[in-house]
Amino acid sequence: MTQVRFVGQRFAAMVIIVLALAAAVFALQKMSPLDPVHARLGGQASQGAIAAERHALGLDRPIVTQFGHYLAGLVHGDLGDSYRTRRPVTTDLLAYVPATAELAATGLIIALVLAIAFAFASTLRVRGAGLFRLGLMLGASVPTFLLGVFGILLFYQHFGWLPASGRTSIGNAPTGPTHLLTLDGLLHGRPDVTWDALKHLLMPATAIALGPAVAIGRVLRSSLEGELSSDYVRTARAKGRSERQILLGHVVRNAVGAAVSMTGLQVGLMFAGVLVVEQVFGWPGLGLYIAESIPVADFPAIAGVTLLLGSAYVVINAAVDVIQAAADPRIRV
Amino acid sequence: MSAQLAPEDVLTDEGYAVVATAEDLHVTFRRNGKAIHALRGISLEIRRGEILGLVGESGSGKSVLGLTLLGLHGAGATISGRATVRGRDMVSATDAERRAVRVAHLGAVFQDPMTSLNPTMRVGRQVAEAAGSDEEALRLLRLVGVPEAESRMSAFPHELSGGLRQRVMIAMAVAGNPDLVIADEPTTALDVTVQAQVLRLLRTLRDELGCSVLMITHDLGVAAQIADRVAVMYAGRLAELGESDAVLRSSAHPYTLGLMRSRLTLGVDRTRALPALPGEVPSPAAPQPGCAFSPRCSVAGPDCAETSPEPVEVEPGHHSACLRPLAVVRSTDTVSPVALTARAEPAGIDQDTAALSLRSVVKTFGVGKGFGRKRTLHALRGVSLQVAQGESVALVGESGSGKSTLLRVAAGLETADSGEVELSGGSRPQMVFQDSGASLTPWMTVEQILGERVRDLGRAARAAKVREALSLVGLPAEVGAARATQLSGGQRQRVCLARATIVPPPVLLCDEPTSALDVSLAASVINLIARLRRELGMSVLFVTHDLSVARVVADRIAVMYLGQIVEIGASDRVTSAPLHPYTRSLVSAVPDVGLTPVILPGEPASPLNPPSGCAFHPRCADATESCQDTELGLRLQRVANDDVDRVACINIDLSHVPTPVYITPKGA
Ligand SMILES: Nc1ncnc2c1ncn2[C@@H]1O[C@H](COP(=O)(O)OP(=O)(O)OP(=O)(O)O)[C@@H](O)[C@H]1O
Ligand code: SF4
Ligand code: SF4
Ligand SMILES: [Mg+2]
Repeated sequence: MTQVRFVGQRFAAMVIIVLALAAAVFALQKMSPLDPVHARLGGQASQGAIAAERHALGLDRPIVTQFGHYLAGLVHGDLGDSYRTRRPVTTDLLAYVPATAELAATGLIIALVLAIAFAFASTLRVRGAGLFRLGLMLGASVPTFLLGVFGILLFYQHFGWLPASGRTSIGNAPTGPTHLLTLDGLLHGRPDVTWDALKHLLMPATAIALGPAVAIGRVLRSSLEGELSSDYVRTARAKGRSERQILLGHVVRNAVGAAVSMTGLQVGLMFAGVLVVEQVFGWPGLGLYIAESIPVADFPAIAGVTLLLGSAYVVINAAVDVIQAAADPRIRV
Repeated sequence: MSAQLAPEDVLTDEGYAVVATAEDLHVTFRRNGKAIHALRGISLEIRRGEILGLVGESGSGKSVLGLTLLGLHGAGATISGRATVRGRDMVSATDAERRAVRVAHLGAVFQDPMTSLNPTMRVGRQVAEAAGSDEEALRLLRLVGVPEAESRMSAFPHELSGGLRQRVMIAMAVAGNPDLVIADEPTTALDVTVQAQVLRLLRTLRDELGCSVLMITHDLGVAAQIADRVAVMYAGRLAELGESDAVLRSSAHPYTLGLMRSRLTLGVDRTRALPALPGEVPSPAAPQPGCAFSPRCSVAGPDCAETSPEPVEVEPGHHSACLRPLAVVRSTDTVSPVALTARAEPAGIDQDTAALSLRSVVKTFGVGKGFGRKRTLHALRGVSLQVAQGESVALVGESGSGKSTLLRVAAGLETADSGEVELSGGSRPQMVFQDSGASLTPWMTVEQILGERVRDLGRAARAAKVREALSLVGLPAEVGAARATQLSGGQRQRVCLARATIVPPPVLLCDEPTSALDVSLAASVINLIARLRRELGMSVLFVTHDLSVARVVADRIAVMYLGQIVEIGASDRVTSAPLHPYTRSLVSAVPDVGLTPVILPGEPASPLNPPSGCAFHPRCADATESCQDTELGLRLQRVANDDVDRVACINIDLSHVPTPVYITPKGA
């Protein structure tokens, strides 16, 4: 029962956020000096052609009607047609999403690994923790796109260890079923594809991971340290448990809550990072798609990407709540 | 378990007589660059199978001694001397050795069972960690009297009541048959009826398992109840040590005598001010040479400020660290009684002139977060109470009985769901809380804090008013320039009282204002409230869980159970000849020297789900069939048509008011 209610609540939240985002994008478009008809037809189009195009796009109707029309389409999973590609936005998104999803997921994994290493190393006062921390902080203080550029200069130009752009350099890479190259490579028995995809992922994913890694790592470290001085840890010590048993058996579960909510927050920032980094690395994902859509005021495409990321954010934060409730029995979703 | 004693390390000697010792133990901490001398040369031994009570005021080093014996003093401490457990020195031992000793020989119970248990681990697993297996954990939970132990194994700590949590802690402590259980204030966070249960459990376990117990407590009554021997600590040193009876009933040290005389019991003469130990505990950052007690000692001589006395045997098995001969110490009054506290006889209450009048107040809270999952907590279930002008009424009852909620409703901090709250004169009541330090703005000086309440006065008049208010609460004018953080607990509580009374309110509302204070400070705050009340003509409504405090501060006591007043009457009558079965069990659970408590079984019921009929019936020894009748409609009834005493119970003879019987503590 509570699960049903939880899903219901989150779905309602998603609907509200999507509505708000749709309205915001819609308003932005109306305020924008860019004219989609102009962008589509070029400067030399005749008055008549322009009027016809306006009508075809529904731009001659009242704004409220346009918005209502758009929302009605949304309900049926129809995001409209892109002005630029002239394909349904849904089709475009399906083509671009896997690349972005793979990049964001890899970035998240790297961020979490770094954060956990950072937090545990400094809580346990492991040698070299200070240096590791300094390196992380330094990396995180550099803007994402600069990180990308530095990375390319160093690891591609100078050492030639890593590729500088794209998802793969293998021509006949499998195209399905998941469209995530790392997985598809394994599924098709082509470890070379997976390996190659990983090499392509490493730089852009690390670039988006550093900032979140520091933020999550800090929160995790301070909650680990706080928990280690709590009363129940004293009790565990009095029982004769070892420090390792105490850390893994008692402290971690109590400390993850704060780090998990920080992760939820950071995911939003990571989306922004993904959009930037994709352009630096020529990554064929939503970032490139939206970068090409903005200059031509391709409203349906921009709105589609925005709504998709917004919904993903809601889903991820629902996952955060579920994980927190699993870790702490006092919280019920 | 990873930490095992090597076979040659296991002490197989079955004939040992001493479980643990402290030998000239010094423990020093560093805090903000200052050395904190927590223990300054303490030597004692804990005998096999005994319960040693360790008493003393806050900061005297009781907990530090316990933690050092456990080897849990932390890396920041500088330690000299020895603290041995079964012959092994926990100070010089390696981490692995300490751990092995804890596993094989030690158990620990700490004060707050909520924070001392891991909130995210099932209770069964936590016990099994110490017990080695689930079966053993289950056996232990049964041993310590956890009802339905099997299903409780999979409960989380927050799903248990405070008393049950402490039983779980005790189960962990006695796992693996330790030789010594170190219990640091194990009952301080518990209600008095539950405290009596837990104390009895500890004693029974000791008898059955043969382990020794180091019982750390600030409550001499608790020590008297459970300990075979008592050690009294003062400022990191041992003041007195001996058989419980000898130490508590024929004390040899001026400090112990002072503590015993300033102790609040149900037998204290409430027509006079409480005798209080003068002064305060010395700061552990700057220990003085000589006897640490000398600034507060009424028999101190010039030699006391130079020579630090060592404990010597004054009677067989009875040690005291004092330079004066026993006869001199015992013949002197160590405390300074002052004037009258409470009115002897409460007058009848004239409804029309009541300073505070509550009628059928109902208050519920929704608990649990999120939509539709709220449960209703019945905090107040129809409470009526009148406080006459100049009268003092105490509300007592265990936690969750609604006493603080009632006070907050009276203060206007909480609105009642239904019922009426009426204050005469309309001016707002003032409130004093338990944690006074937190309610004073840290960056403001005392003068500014007090001045805020008389802002409309001119500058000079305001300063004069502040000085007057400070002197009324017995603080020197210099305190005006200090910030709250620079004051001691007792001084802060006085500042709060000064703030509440600088503009004399018609009603002063107090929520456990003394429960965070040591005996001597508590006594002086209680005296102060009595004096302010007399001099300013205020009415007082005073919430406390402590019947002996209620008895001296109040003319009448109202006993609450699950959101209702079950008995109200003159303080002496309620505490010495209680009528309601619940009041009777409360009174008999108060630990004291020379008294055997009668133990009320069962756990306090939950206000989320009050039992039908008389809410007390599941725990009541006198309950009859009709007590659980949902149609019972129990109300407070007058006893013998008198205006003061009322009780809500269907099985009581209401024809006459029993005469108060004054309890005289034996040996005092
Ligand atoms: N880890 C620590 N670091 C610094 N100072 C400490 C530490 N532990 C204890 N102290 C100080 O040592 C002194 C003795 O403290 P201790 O906790 O033993 O007192 P106590 O007798 O148990 O008091 P209470 O009745 O309040 O529990 C106090 O001044 C305390 O502030
Ligand atoms: S030594 Fe002196 S100051 Fe200390 S308790 Fe004895 S008489 Fe008092
Ligand atoms: S009414 Fe019944 S259950 Fe309630 S206190 Fe009286 S005898 Fe006990
Ligand atoms: Mg303590």
